[in-house]
Order: sequence, then C-alpha cells, then structure tokens
Amino acid sequence: MISYELSPHQSQVKAIVHWFAENEIRPIAMISDKQKRVPDEWLNKVNSMGITLSTSSFGDDEGRNAAKKEAKGERQGNRLGVIASEEMGWGDPAIALTLPGPGLGGPPVQHSGTPEQKKRFLSIFSRDEEPRWGAYALTEPDAGSDVSGLQTTAVKTDGGYILNGQKIFITNGGRASWVVVFATVDRSIGRAGHRAFVVEKGTPGFSCSRLADKMGLRASETAELVFEDCFVPVENLLGGEEYYENLSSGPSGFRVAMKTFDSTRPIIAAMATGIARGAYEYTLDIINKEFPKHGRSYQTACAILAKLNQNITASRLLTWEAAWKADMGLPNAKEAAMCKAYSGKIALEATSKCLELLGPAGMEDTIVEKMYRDAKIFDIFEGTNQIQQLIIARHLYEPHGVRV
Amino acid sequence: MVSFKPTDEEAAFVKMAKDFALHEIRPAARESEENKKVDHAIIKKANELGFTLLELPESWGGLELPLISQVQITEALAMGDLGVVQGLGGAGDAASFIRMDPDNSLLADYKISLASGTETAAAFLNCEEDGKHKVTIEASGGEYLLNGRSAPVKMAEKAECLLISGVDSAGEDVLLWIGHIQQHSGLRKKTGGDYRLGLLSSHFASYEFENVKLNQASVFAMGEAARSLKDNAISRIIVLEAAKEVGLMNAALSYTAEYTSQRKAFGQEIAKFQGVSFNVAQMAIAASAARNLVWHAAMKIDQQEADAIGFSMGTLNNAHEAVRFVTDSAVQLLGGHGYVQEHPVEKWMRDAQAQVNVFMSESELLARSGDYLLSGTKGGIQDDILRTVTASKPS
Ligand SMILES: Cc1cc2nc3c(=O)[nH]c(=O)nc-3n(C[C@H](O)[C@H](O)[C@H](O)COP(=O)(O)OP(=O)(O)OC[C@H]3O[C@@H](n4cnc5c(N)ncnc54)[C@H](O)[C@@H]3O)c2cc1C
Repeated sequence: MISYELSPHQSQVKAIVHWFAENEIRPIAMISDKQKRVPDEWLNKVNSMGITLSTSSFGDDEGRNAAKKEAKGERQGNRLGVIASEEMGWGDPAIALTLPGPGLGGPPVQHSGTPEQKKRFLSIFSRDEEPRWGAYALTEPDAGSDVSGLQTTAVKTDGGYILNGQKIFITNGGRASWVVVFATVDRSIGRAGHRAFVVEKGTPGFSCSRLADKMGLRASETAELVFEDCFVPVENLLGGEEYYENLSSGPSGFRVAMKTFDSTRPIIAAMATGIARGAYEYTLDIINKEFPKHGRSYQTACAILAKLNQNITASRLLTWEAAWKADMGLPNAKEAAMCKAYSGKIALEATSKCLELLGPAGMEDTIVEKMYRDAKIFDIFEGTNQIQQLIIARHLYEPHGVRV
Repeated sequence: MVSFKPTDEEAAFVKMAKDFALHEIRPAARESEENKKVDHAIIKKANELGFTLLELPESWGGLELPLISQVQITEALAMGDLGVVQGLGGAGDAASFIRMDPDNSLLADYKISLASGTETAAAFLNCEEDGKHKVTIEASGGEYLLNGRSAPVKMAEKAECLLISGVDSAGEDVLLWIGHIQQHSGLRKKTGGDYRLGLLSSHFASYEFENVKLNQASVFAMGEAARSLKDNAISRIIVLEAAKEVGLMNAALSYTAEYTSQRKAFGQEIAKFQGVSFNVAQMAIAASAARNLVWHAAMKIDQQEADAIGFSMGTLNNAHEAVRFVTDSAVQLLGGHGYVQEHPVEKWMRDAQAQVNVFMSESELLARSGDYLLSGTKGGIQDDILRTVTASKPS
C-alpha cells in the first residue's frame, strides 16, 4: 500500500534527530564554519551521549537478503537513515559529517569486511571512550570521477602490502582512527587490480599532509593523505586475500568502492534536502514576520516559496523511494543516482533563491548564506551530477542494448 | 549600419583594462578577500589609469565616457576579480547621479575633495529596493527625519559621504546627500559585520539612523526632479553592474574552458565528454547573450531611447541569472577542485551570489521591467507599491 506516513519508530527517530539538530547542532553552526572546525568539547560531549554518524546500518549484512522479513517486521534501516540525515542536513551538514563514527568508511567495512575485520574496526566507536572517526579514501589528484585511474600502488610483500601514493579531499582523513584506502596491485589490469585496505592512524609511512580551505562545509575536515612505503598487514586487506582469489571474475576493490554508493547516495541526498528545507523554513519565517502581506514583493515571495516547497518535497520523495527500494532488497542504483542528482541541484537553487528573497541583509551572519556555500558540494562529492546522469542514462538504455 | 566593432579608442582602453585586470587585479584577489580590503597600490593605479573616473563628468575631472564605452571597459576590469572592482571606491554609484546633475551646489565640497586627489568614497543607499532597507524618511516642515536600519551597503564602511534615495512619508521622491557622516550624531555605521559569502573586499556595512534630521541643505533633489534623476541614474548603475557581471562570466568561462581542456578522466580530456563541453557551450551562450544585452542597454541609455530604463532592468535580471548559472557551472566542471580555494572559481561563485543579493532581486527587476512595457515609461503600479512598502514603519 502506498503511504507517506512515518511509522511510530520513524517519527520518533525524526523527532529525536530534529531535536538534536535544533538544540545541539544549530547553536554551533556559524561559529564552527568560522573557525573551520567543530569544537572538541562539543564532540566529546556528543560522543559521550552516544551520538554517532553511521552510514552503514542501512547497508548491513541483512541487506543482501533483505527481502526476507526481519523478525520484528519489515527492514527499514535505509528509510531511517534518510529520515535522520535530512534532519542532520537541516542542522548543519559540515557538523553532521564530523560526528564521531565510521562515517563514509563504514559501508565498505560492513559490505566487504571479514567478520574479524568488522569487529576490529567497527567496535572501536564507543561512548565510553574518546570520540573516533573512520574515513573513506578513494579520490586522488588525477582520479576523481574516474576511479579506475587511481595511481596509489599496493605491492605484495611478506605479510602484507606496501602502499605508495596520495589521496585528496578525504573527509575526516586527518582525524580518522582508520581510513579505507583504495589502491591498485596492478595498474595494467585496471579495475580488477583494485584493493581496499584499512590503514590505521599512526602506521609508519601514512600521514596527513594538509587540510583544504573550501567554499563551504568549512567545519568538516577535508584532508590530503600521503602514503610513503607504508606497510599494511594482510589482515587489513578488506575481505582478506581469499575474497579476491576465490572469484576469478572479480569482486575487485572497485566493486567495493561502487557498491557503497548505493547506500550512501540517498544519505547524502537526504542531507541536501535538509539544507534546502533549512533555508526555505528560515526564509518563510522571515517573510511571514517582516513582509507586508500585499504588494509585489509579497507575491514574488509567494511564487518562489511555493516552487521551493515543491522541489524540496520531490527531492525527499525521490530519496525515500531509493531508500525504500534498498530496504526491500531491490536494486536501487538508478534511484540512488536520481535522488542525489536532483537534491544536489535543488539545494543550491533553494539557498540561492532564499538569499534573493532576503536581499542584502541575507549576506550578513545568516545561516542561509552558509547553507548556500555548503549546498554546492552536494552536487560534487559521492559522484558529480554528471556522473549521476551517466548512471541514470545507462540504466535507461540498458534494456535497449545501448551502453552510453 | 549594424556593427559590433568598438572604436579604436575603446579597443585601446579595453586592452589596458584587461591587462590591469589579469596582471594586477586577479593576482591580488585572494589577498583582498582575506584582508577585506583592496590593496592601496591597486586603488592608486586604478585612479591613475582613469578606471574610477569613467562615469564622472569632465567638469569633475572625470572622463565622462558614453555608457557604451564604459560597459566594455568595466567588463574587462571585472574579468580580473569582481570583489576587487567593487572595492575600488571613489564616487562609485554616486557618480551616475553626479553625471546627471554635475553643477548641484550641494556637492561642491565633494567635488573639491575628489579633484584634490583624495580618495573620498561615497556610498549609495537605495531605500526603494523592495523595502529591503528598513529605513523610513519622514517629511515635516521642509525637514526630513530618518529612522531605522539599512541592510548592508557596498563601500559603506569606508565612505564618508552618503547618497540616499527614497520616498518620504508623504509619498514624495527624495534624494538626500550627507557630505560628512560623522557630523550626524544619530547616524551610525555598523561595521565589522560577519560577512562570509562574497565581495568581501567591498567594505559592506549597514547604517543605523536614530532621529537623523536633514534639512534643505541636504536635499539633492525632490519630487518630480528627484524621480527623473533616480530613474536615469539608477538605470546607468544597473547597466554598469550588469557589465561587471559579464566580466565575471567571461573569467569563469575562460578558466573553465582551459581547465576542462587539460583535465583527464576515463582516458581522455574531460572536454571530450559532451556532458562537459555542452555545459561550457551553454556558459558561453549565456555570457555572450548577456554581453549583447548589456551593450544594447548601454546604447539605449546613451541615445536616450524611450524604453531605456525598463529595458536596463530586464538586462540586469538576465545578467543576474546568467552569472549565477555560469559561475555555478564553473565550480561544477572543476569537480572537487572547483570547491576548494586553490582555484578562483569557488570565490567567483560566492561573489556572483553576493552581487545578485546586493543589486536588486531578479524577480523584482523582471517585474519592474515588465511594468515599463505595459504601462509606459512611468513604471506604472510599481510606484504605488514601493510607496506603501517604504513608507511603512520599520519592523
Ligand atoms: C569537501 C569534499 C569532501 C570530499 N570527501 C571525499 C571523501 O571522503 N573520500 C573520497 O574518496 N573523496 C572525497 N571527495 C572527492 C569527491 O568525491 C571528488 O571530488 C568527486 O568525485 C569529483 O572528482 P574530481 O574532483 O576529480 O573531478 P573530475 O573527475 O576531474 O571532474 C571534473 C568535471 O568533469 C566531469 N566529468 C568527469 N567525467 C565525466 C564524464 N564521463 N562525462 C561527463 N562529465 C564528466 C565531472 O562531472 C566534473 O564536472 C571530496 C571532495 C570534496 C570537495
């Protein structure tokens, strides 16, 4: 049955996360952007409250046979994930991405790690200890959209691999306790040569060389990582060596990298929707309070806000649909790409239009100004808008036997 | 005869502007943004080369160029960096009012100070912009009482003089000139505001008016005379602002074309993907269309064509939309590299949005332009609405 009603559990999650976003995140949003970091005391506090950013609960093992109903009923991890993420994005996306936890590094470990690896890497996140982070390092100076071109090498040696190369734009890369690093064991065989390693902080030869200054998302750490003759033990090869040997046709590290996107893209899309909604709600409130309820500027505001309301709702529904499919165990790559492509665009559109409505006053110390700067990244990371379009088009043309 | 060939003089001036833009303005852009001001050496050189004098009348030591020449030069300058160009100071937007009424005795002091080479900056507060500045002008017995707070105004932090355009409580148009801000105890600037969006070297600040009394000695113009002055001067300002946006678009376009011709992915230059090249083509179309409209609007104003004012508003609407599209595309086509500060495109996208925020909203411009089409040169119903909005008390 078609329904847009949240279940009691979903409503509860939404309400709790919204409360947190409004009362804990928003008050530090502007200052964190200014200082280009989330205050440590705050991170310690939320960690001890047990709040983490986990993007992997929705792509967990059960996902593989999720069509099976869980004992308690229908699987809903993906839907819960996007519902929560929208509220987080509404609060502040940079702070949301800085919440302690495995972050974007979680899904590959969940999807491809051995039981031992899952335990070893995912159990370190605890409210009783200092805050910790995981990270996901795929991008390189010369390999972004085209992951197959990655240059970081992994050379087999006694008991492990030696990594050499550089990664850029890695969220939480500097503070992470471990980073899932993609490298190639043989450049000549392309994607089949890719492997994913979990590199732990403090490993000799692994360092964070600098942090990037950005248009927005300033409170989130964007790190450049360097690997110089960095030895990684074989136990840290994600999935273990058998994982790659058993199946001659693949899976490769490339698959590991790509697979996680189907569950992370709706999460990212939901955050973008949250940004758009945050800007919209702020502006709606100001217009209600400060504009006369007649005249042309009022009419203009009405038209713009109505359009944004439609766009935001469409964005949310596309995202929910992608998450719902994942919960049902249905393929959702096309839907995940669609919601990501749509939400990235409308988040920028919404923040820009809200700034227009606010006029010059909107430039000075308003959350909308920050949201505009934050919004743009949602059209770039986790696959650019163009790449999402490519994925969508591929799915559309596949039945016609054409690969675009 | 239809022609798109600039005069030799224009071409020479444009070349000089472009050199200055690319070799002096562009390299100083990041530093200006960080310091929140334009380096004095650049301001000095811009003055020497005449770039801050294009609009001022000759009797003021200005170049008094036709608008069609100015838009070409301004466009070339803004190719360097819009934030720097907006922070050069001088008479700024007030120059267009001075141009319309150069012999106004009210401005005698300012004329002397500009002619003596001091870089006294003037700011322009347009209270008529969709009621976005919450400042009221109350008329009583030949005097004006100003109250309320403005939104951020370009150059306000630096400017000693302030030109105010508004409609008073009786619905009369009025233009007020304050030669020395510090002489009015009720008039304060709120400086050091928290600005992060863009145009950070343009000295934004807001004004607070607390029972600021201005007598006849501060009236630049009133009534019908003020209306016509405003219409004419503001349409000039609008076209010059649109020209700056064209310059910014050209900067973003050429940077992106070059980057995408070199960046490789999937084994080839990304320019070879139509998803990239078509987008760059669209940027070029938007920039060229905007430039043509700006030049055309400038010519209409120079030739005092009847539809010049309404047309110019439509032109700025188009430029606003285009500059947002073009700068956003530039960031997009550089991918993650577009979002970080190693490349200038992220700044250009922020500057573009700040520019759109400051210089009248897109929708408002379009609607006003339409008013002129439907109701003739008077601007029709718009005036009534503006009056109700600006005459209402600040909230
Ligand atoms: C703040 C931030 C955080 C990030 N966090 C992470 C992280 O945690 N981990 C990580 O691994 N990466 C991260 N990234 C990197 C991000 O995912 C990449 O920047 C992104 O995938 C794009 O890659 P690129 O920058 O190399 O752009 P490029 O691949 O060089 O793309 C440039 C342009 O070409 C277009 N293009 C490329 N190929 C095609 C094609 N075939 N058809 C049409 N158009 C095409 C792109 O869409 C884009 O517009 C982050 C980036 C930023 C800025």
